[in-house]
Amino acid sequence: MTRARKASIYVALVLLAAVSVVPFLWMLATSFKHGHDIYTKVPNLLPVDRKTGEWAATLENYDYVLNVGGLGRAFVNSVWVCLILVPAKLLIDALAAYSFARIPFPGRDKLFVVLLGGMMVPTITLLVPRIHVTQSLGMFDSGWGLIVPNIASVLDIFLLRQFFLSLPSELEEAALIDGASRMQIFWRIVLPLSKPVLAVVTITSFLFHWNDLVWPLVVLNDPDLYTLPLALQQLVASPDGGRAYYIMAGATLAVIPVIGVLLVFQRRILQGIAFTGLKA
Amino acid sequence: MTAPVLEGRKEVAARPRRRPRRRTNDRLVGWLLVTPAVAYFAVFLLYPALSALYYSFTDWNLRSAASWVGLANYSDLLFNDVKYPHFWKSVQVTLQYTLIAVPLTMVAALVQALLVNSIRRGANLFRLLLFLPVVTAEAAVGAIWRWLYDPQYGLINSVLGLVGIPGQNWLNTPELVIPALAFISAWQCGISMIIYLAGLKGIPGTIREAAIIDGAGPWQRFWRVIVPMLRPTTFYLLVTGVIAALQVFGLVYVIFSGSGRSVTGGPEQSGLSYVLHLYLFAFRYDAMGAACAMSFILLIFIMIITALQFRFVKQEAS
Repeated sequence: MTRARKASIYVALVLLAAVSVVPFLWMLATSFKHGHDIYTKVPNLLPVDRKTGEWAATLENYDYVLNVGGLGRAFVNSVWVCLILVPAKLLIDALAAYSFARIPFPGRDKLFVVLLGGMMVPTITLLVPRIHVTQSLGMFDSGWGLIVPNIASVLDIFLLRQFFLSLPSELEEAALIDGASRMQIFWRIVLPLSKPVLAVVTITSFLFHWNDLVWPLVVLNDPDLYTLPLALQQLVASPDGGRAYYIMAGATLAVIPVIGVLLVFQRRILQGIAFTGLKA
Repeated sequence: MTAPVLEGRKEVAARPRRRPRRRTNDRLVGWLLVTPAVAYFAVFLLYPALSALYYSFTDWNLRSAASWVGLANYSDLLFNDVKYPHFWKSVQVTLQYTLIAVPLTMVAALVQALLVNSIRRGANLFRLLLFLPVVTAEAAVGAIWRWLYDPQYGLINSVLGLVGIPGQNWLNTPELVIPALAFISAWQCGISMIIYLAGLKGIPGTIREAAIIDGAGPWQRFWRVIVPMLRPTTFYLLVTGVIAALQVFGLVYVIFSGSGRSVTGGPEQSGLSYVLHLYLFAFRYDAMGAACAMSFILLIFIMIITALQFRFVKQEAS
């Protein structure tokens, strides 16, 4: 490759990366600006005073959205939902996947095919009757209503089962002969060997539920229960909606945790995407 | 699975009794472990799917009992433009969005993947930066882009102004709404880029070398080697991309949300996506039956489109 070509590739990449990153930088800058400083003809990517050009960052937007705008409470709600939902879902999915992969019980393979068939139905088709079911179970407009209707995932069961099937079965058979129970084998042998896929499933499911807007939107009425995306949407929709400095502070609160997760687990996430393709 | 192993241990006295016990035990444990997942499946997948089908033939809201109306929801949606004046508009909006957003996203993803794949130093960093928009909540994406597209102080118009293009009122001009939304979709092409990258890594180096030895230039290599080798990836991304684009909702909802919980379909309904329309029927106009019918029309449409795509690819291949 000639030097000129190599240089032009890097230039193109820097431009594309700028397109993808600058909106975030602008979000950050806006979130730290005083209200009057955001209205400038020439955009400022730093929180500086509109007239003097001096550094003029402030935390008052965060103070407002956290305490007045309801995002503080929503942040805590989102953390709670993810803390309960993600591990519970992982456990339910992993137990089912292990059973489907390794334990011969009558009707197993037919049952699995039926489950896979359920993946074909778009979630939007299920949305209205799911609300009805949630209502019938007395979980409408409650924290449980955010968690229980999402507590298992056929796709995750499928992915975990594929991985379990790829493990060498000799270890498990030896353990069986030594008198280990299925549950012992699951906890002591299968799970420790499956850390990569467990990590991928955990991270993608955290990202999905942390970011999810649609389900909280339809299942919640009580503002005290709002999750972060829903509270952010409400902020956008409120009379404050024109005040970009508030909105951007709210968006930053929603974005920072996932960027943190992405930075820490980037290898696993990117591999996982290539491997599963479907979820984000 | 256990039988052949136990075969080798014939001398174990307990063998005739152990095997059946292991089997009953497996039967019990096997079912026990799948029970939570299967219960979830029955309550939150199977039952909703079947009841959605049933309710699509009824007049129903969450407070009253459903009354059977046969095919009336379907025929009214499709043909009664007094009762459902925006149904076909929402179909048109969604198809336009799909036709622009999916190719744009895939081309952007392929270009990014080719560029990232051709460098060594910094490849991981660029991959990460290009992936950033993907993990962002759609509520945040909508919020950020409302501000970026702001007609007076938005960054987009400022940047366009620098190169002499007059600013636009992107989200308030009917003709510009869909291109503006499609651009956001292309901005989030990171997932497709990662999948294309995996596809590119799967092309054996020997094929590339053979093409170089045969005197193929970069352009020829791209069209004759890379594009054909990436066909399965492209097809996968096309099918999943179309299915996702036909269901675009959260982003549009945030972009066009008004005060309280009201939401508009954008100027002159130009951003009224099919699923946004469905949502409005279900949760604003309290017409759950019609919403269920809409969801089945979409389901059937998705199935037809996907089948056609598979057919088309088969023909191309033969």
